[in-house]
Amino acid sequence: MGGPGAGGPTGSGVPFRRAAGYLRAVATFRLQGSKVLAVDLTGDTVKAKNGSMVAYDGQMAFKKLSGGGEGLRGMVTRRLTGEQMTMMEAKGQGTCFLADRASEINLVALHGDTLYVEASNLLCADGGLRTGTSFTGLRGGASGNGLFTTTLEGSGQAAIMSDGPAVVLRVSPQYPLSVDPGAYIAHQGRLQQSFQSGVTFRTFLGEGGGEAFQIRFEGDGLVYVQPSERNTVAGDV
Amino acid sequence: MSTPVIFDPMTLPSDDNVNAYTFCVELKGSQWFLQKGKMIAYYGRIDFNGIGHGRLDRLVRTSFHSPLHASDWVVAEGSGKMLLADRAFDVNSYDLDEGNLTIRAGNLLAYQPSLALKQSIVPGFLTLIGTGTFVAASNGPVVFMEPPLRVDPQALVGWADCPSPCHHYDHGYLSGVLGGLRSLTGLGGVSGEEHQFEFVGAGTVLLQSTETLMPEQFAGTVPNEPGVPGAGPAGSGHGGPGAGQGGMGGVPRLPGQLGDLQRRFGL
Repeated sequence: MGGPGAGGPTGSGVPFRRAAGYLRAVATFRLQGSKVLAVDLTGDTVKAKNGSMVAYDGQMAFKKLSGGGEGLRGMVTRRLTGEQMTMMEAKGQGTCFLADRASEINLVALHGDTLYVEASNLLCADGGLRTGTSFTGLRGGASGNGLFTTTLEGSGQAAIMSDGPAVVLRVSPQYPLSVDPGAYIAHQGRLQQSFQSGVTFRTFLGEGGGEAFQIRFEGDGLVYVQPSERNTVAGDV
Repeated sequence: MSTPVIFDPMTLPSDDNVNAYTFCVELKGSQWFLQKGKMIAYYGRIDFNGIGHGRLDRLVRTSFHSPLHASDWVVAEGSGKMLLADRAFDVNSYDLDEGNLTIRAGNLLAYQPSLALKQSIVPGFLTLIGTGTFVAASNGPVVFMEPPLRVDPQALVGWADCPSPCHHYDHGYLSGVLGGLRSLTGLGGVSGEEHQFEFVGAGTVLLQSTETLMPEQFAGTVPNEPGVPGAGPAGSGHGGPGAGQGGMGGVPRLPGQLGDLQRRFGL
């Protein structure tokens, strides 16, 4: 891994880049078991899913972030795209414990790259990460998540939720990956996604292959899949 | 921070568990039978074809004998690594060596074509015969038990080499007017354990570690022939599927090539 300011992608071509040093206090994320996230705060802030706090010690203040804390523009964008995100800001000294409906929690480290995740799967993110929305194209339509997704950019940690522990799969130019839209939860890095459809006349005869739609990832990065499938439009085809 | 394990095609296990909930199958130009929608991701080139696909006729003839479930199964073919999972339930692989194993239909995820899948005489169960590997899901880890034993109906996943699965009722629950009243109304205390499945003989019984069943899909009924258990009421015609069976609310089932026609269109 390159030192601060080492620019460019390092080593294996994985798009991990170190930002120009950690100058501010950074919240540290720990997993307590696999379903509770402990965040150690030393005067800094994290964004977390609204109402996901189960316990805390120390001094802690919680503030609802309207529109995901992205200002008026972000609020309008989220309202328009249907990618609503009710987040709160936790600030203080101590440890904050977060959990949501006993979902499995997965930690993601960001080093200057972008994480794409559904707003509903995002549990907590470092306060220093910029959040935004991006268009996902047909993939979103097929996975039943809407056409837009949430992005997290910058350097820091985030925690995403999945139904069952997520499997992290690396995509490299020689190994593209196909993922069932219902099992996809997030991806990071420089990945192109294309929508693959195996719909033939057989599908309409009721003899489809059962895996008619897939998202194909090519490029360099990581894809998170969960061992369970959401109900999707294409689920039974 | 604990860094998650990152997998690529080199580090993914071959025909083994990735974690308790995900199983990785390696295909090298070979084929696997797979229940629809259980594939979550794959590397490489893999094709998925329905059982009715003409090219697969030979394979289906030797390893698939369950027309009821035909529309639930597909054949994966190609080369690469494929991840299987089912609603975040525990998955495990089992090896059969010239053996037989009967399993609840909804729990079976995938199997090698060297095994033959046959519908069990016990309704709702499938029997695998031969040599090979199969992957099954369970709600919680699977426990292996030796007969003779009695098990709770909801905890039963399957059994291997057992000659006699049968019902067992507690005597007090059945006998006399009071017992009958108690079982009907629950008055006077019902423990919920008055009815079990009993296994005797040599073999192994597979149990899941919870009594919450995995939800199952209605898969049709067996042909209504005299002497076939689980078939509809006798006398509604020989060989033809009866009308309104299995709680489908009086919709007549149309005959079809593999299973009935409605099934094929997801009705």
